[in-house]
Amino acid sequence: MRILNFAKRNFKEIIRDPLSLIFAVILPLFLLFIFQQFDIPSESYKLENFTPGIIVFGFSFITLFTAMLISKDRTTSLLIRLGISPMKSVDYILGYMLAIIPIILIQNILFFILAIMLGLSFSISIIYTILISIIIAVLFIAIGIIIGSIASEKASSGISSIIVQLVCFTSGMYFPMEALGKGFGTVCKYLPFESCLTILKGIMNNTLEIISTRNIIVFVIYTIAILAVSVKIFNRKMVTDNK
Amino acid sequence: MLAIETKNLTKKFGDKIAVDKMNLEIQEGELFALLGTNGAGKTTTIKMLSTLILPTDGEIKISGLDIIKDRQEIKEIINVSPQETAIAPNLSVKENLEFMAGVYQIKNKNEKIKELIKVFKLDEVLNQKAKTLSGGWQRKVSIAISLINDPKILFLDEPTLGLDVIARKELWTVIEKLKDKITIILTTHYMEEAESLSDRIGIMAKGSLVDVGTAQELVEKTGTKNFEDAFVKIATGGEL
Repeated sequence: MRILNFAKRNFKEIIRDPLSLIFAVILPLFLLFIFQQFDIPSESYKLENFTPGIIVFGFSFITLFTAMLISKDRTTSLLIRLGISPMKSVDYILGYMLAIIPIILIQNILFFILAIMLGLSFSISIIYTILISIIIAVLFIAIGIIIGSIASEKASSGISSIIVQLVCFTSGMYFPMEALGKGFGTVCKYLPFESCLTILKGIMNNTLEIISTRNIIVFVIYTIAILAVSVKIFNRKMVTDNK
Repeated sequence: MLAIETKNLTKKFGDKIAVDKMNLEIQEGELFALLGTNGAGKTTTIKMLSTLILPTDGEIKISGLDIIKDRQEIKEIINVSPQETAIAPNLSVKENLEFMAGVYQIKNKNEKIKELIKVFKLDEVLNQKAKTLSGGWQRKVSIAISLINDPKILFLDEPTLGLDVIARKELWTVIEKLKDKITIILTTHYMEEAESLSDRIGIMAKGSLVDVGTAQELVEKTGTKNFEDAFVKIATGGEL
């Protein structure tokens, strides 16, 4: 099947880049470990809150890898070769997405192993969190597809780092929304990252009541809209790059 | 049978005409070189013939199939080695071949890969990552990959650009081996490459196909001493 064949190639391309492992796995693991070594008087740094934060933070690097892989494929003209082949648009998009799923699973399993070693209690909710995080990752992959389709290889990493920063500052992983002031806090509520984090927190801690309708609506609208835009832009760039 | 036939093939980008009413016939098994100065429209022509972009006007038939109606069928019988080495950098040479065999859903995948390894003498670099190969090897691998689906028609866009003399000669030997077995459309800036490899040469200037013939015919027609002079005379309309 062409989708799986393309996904297999994409997976190999990503994991063979040592920087991918450092940023997607080692850095979040380090942050999870180091912040538990201090007695920080904030709810955000408690394991049950900070572990989902680290998952969302790790996803921001998924955006980076997806963007870099696509921009590199454009630069090396691999997409020209594939554009001439019988592959269809759906093969590309799903091929890029499927390649990321094993990386998400590796990330999450390692994050939870460390969190459990640091004192998080194991429960079935952790499995549910991992499964839901795959859906949440679609948003981050789609953002990566957009960046990789429009930016050069060098610019992709720069633009993606904005997403990393946005996740840090607007998700609430490092400090509660209330601490950001009313204006900025409201902006954060209508950006997708705080909703991503709240959904994961609610599922992981079995406190579904903290997930509001707004969280679900914001996440679903952003994911569908960004995914649709990413498909459109990718298809368009497949043609315009070849002019 | 004709491998490629175009009638009034035209491509416009906004107001700019990249290819203008091109009429071209290429026979099966022919090695046809497309020459022209920068911006003459060679690459745009190759991109239209290889289904990558749609023409603005005119017709293209590939092995009797229509480029618009039969696009998917055409994709199965053609392949291309693009100007830039289009290979997956972090995959080994063998993995690149396997990946493209998967893209074309090749049934006898292992046999086909073994055959290409033998023809292109890829044994010594088989397990090396593509990004660590020299320019010459990358081009060789790029051409090997483009033969994975046994294409009836192969497009080689500047296959030896930027290579040293030895690497270029090695690739010429490879291309010569393919001659007569498949139809090859080659674009190049090297006059001696076109002269030595091709059966016929088409010269493009400002989007138009100005002249077509064998190297000898073009030299005789222009009354010049050699093919390079003939090319310059045709491409510039006799201004130089």
